[in-house]
Amino acid sequence: MDPVLIGEILAGLMFFGVIGMLMLGFPVAFTLGGTSLIFALIGMQYGVFDPSNFGALAGRYIGYMTNEVLVAVPLFIFMGVMLERSSIAEQLLLTMGKLFGNLRGGLGISVVVVGALLAASTGVVGATVVTMGLISLPAMLKAGYKPALATGVICASGTLGQIIPPSTVLIFMGDMIAGIHAQVQMSKGNFAPTSVSVGDLFAGAFFPGLLLVGLYLAFIVFKAITDPESCPATPVAPEERKDLGREIMTAFVPPLALIIAVLGSILGGIATPTEAASVGAVGATILAALRWRLSFGVLRETAVATATITSMIFVILFGASIFAIVFRQMGGDNLVEEFLTRLPGGATGAMIAVMVIMFVLGFILDTFEIIFIVIPITAPVLLGLGIDPVWLGVMVGVNLQTSFLTPPFGFALFYLRGVAPNSISTMQIYRGAVPFVILQIVAIALLFIFPGIVTWLPSVIYGN
Amino acid sequence: MAYLAILMRVINRINIIVGHVFSWLAVGIFVVCFWVVIERYFFGNTRLWMQDLYVWMNGAMFTAVAAFALYRNDHVRVDIFFRTASVRRKALMDMIGVLLFLLPFMYIVWTYSFTNVMRSWARFEPSANVGGMPGLFVLRSFILAFAGLVAMQGIAMLIRSVLILARREDLIPDDFRYKYETE
Repeated sequence: MDPVLIGEILAGLMFFGVIGMLMLGFPVAFTLGGTSLIFALIGMQYGVFDPSNFGALAGRYIGYMTNEVLVAVPLFIFMGVMLERSSIAEQLLLTMGKLFGNLRGGLGISVVVVGALLAASTGVVGATVVTMGLISLPAMLKAGYKPALATGVICASGTLGQIIPPSTVLIFMGDMIAGIHAQVQMSKGNFAPTSVSVGDLFAGAFFPGLLLVGLYLAFIVFKAITDPESCPATPVAPEERKDLGREIMTAFVPPLALIIAVLGSILGGIATPTEAASVGAVGATILAALRWRLSFGVLRETAVATATITSMIFVILFGASIFAIVFRQMGGDNLVEEFLTRLPGGATGAMIAVMVIMFVLGFILDTFEIIFIVIPITAPVLLGLGIDPVWLGVMVGVNLQTSFLTPPFGFALFYLRGVAPNSISTMQIYRGAVPFVILQIVAIALLFIFPGIVTWLPSVIYGN
Repeated sequence: MAYLAILMRVINRINIIVGHVFSWLAVGIFVVCFWVVIERYFFGNTRLWMQDLYVWMNGAMFTAVAAFALYRNDHVRVDIFFRTASVRRKALMDMIGVLLFLLPFMYIVWTYSFTNVMRSWARFEPSANVGGMPGLFVLRSFILAFAGLVAMQGIAMLIRSVLILARREDLIPDDFRYKYETE
């Protein structure tokens, strides 16, 4: 048989082999690397893989270890963990609940807003949904919310972190897409291309994020009007409201100001994401100290959590590097290119195909695995077909977020199941997610038809 | 069996210490990075070596802590089947995973980075940035440390699997057993 064909067949099998092996439940990072090595070994037997390609590994790894942009990841994780461990996040939610509690649906609105503000920091779907579930689910059930609505709101707001800046997902995606974009432009003969940055992606995700939050809020208001039983008001006693003004000043304004300062300085083009992230981490630590919540223990716990979460993500990147080296050497890139360029519908057809593949992968894999595997092999083709790099990044984010919400496999639903009381049935969680999935599809359709929602803000800020 | 259990405990202990020490780099990163920002925006001054410093701290942190994260079971698993599996089945799956995936992966990382790191040591390679930090060869060595520490932790996992399959779970310390919780 033709060695090129053998290589491409092996590359295709490897993609599905990796997904199959991951089902064993061994940590993703190592399964990814190990399975790719097994296929490399098979490839060597057929003479379509040369192990000297692994010589590039050390260079790639040191590249990740000295990447300035990616340092924003541990910094934002630190900020998020610190806000959570010092119970600033919890206080924020409780105060918002009191503020809007007198309204029907008010508590639900608070959860969406707090989720949008805080969920952003870690970008690991499971962690955010679990935290939101632990804090806000009991409060909503106590207030008499219907379980399906309560769980739907939590899952949807918990996954917002994928897309709302400063999301770690967007940082990695921005860094990868920036490199691929530069290569594609070079190969097209454009030696002075406009560059794409993480800041562009943050700016591009800003309005789509607002759009989603707006849709969620509109849905809760709609429920409050048409089905008042599902989200009753929680009357707040007058004596509880007495201190509300002071509480807002202490519990609500400082973290809000911090998040606005961090986001604003990035979107305003004043600071790079990494610089802004360091300000965010310092700010969160100061807020914790001002509340007498900053002990040696809290600082150590936060440091350990930050280090292990960061390590977990980067080691997946290490494993994905092996996959990428083997896949490319065996001709997988050509396979992907042939597949995507032969689809009907040109760039749109290719884009839809990649979106569908990612959506399905989202049923079994978490964000980082998906983007580390799929973006490097598909983005060169998509960008080559003329798709806007910022739009691509944001679409991937919203798409994956939708996937994590979709019953019966959605990740977010599983994680919430884990922390929800047994009185709530899995069916109720599924039913609660359905309206939000529909809202997500509306948002994706809007972004597809009006890409300007994504591309307008970066073009104004960074002028390209 | 008892000797295996001792080896497992020693490996765990090493990675716990390494993990806790290098986790503090998380604090170091934001302190140094914040200082660089302050200097740049308020004093109009930039020290290039400091710009390397916080970036390198991240590289050193996530490589050194990787094995500790493995000990804490912080590396994500696709746990659709794993979560509901019995302890013995989990032990078996982990055993296969370590032998088939983890150890070969670390072997390749070690072998193919070794010459690269040694070459870097031979010329005491500094940062590629002008005016940057000396000692890029030290940072490069963290790739080997990563491979070594993770392989060691893999062996500790292997011993755990062997002990469970040999029905000697009593030899495994509490914090290294499979948890029955929802995670």
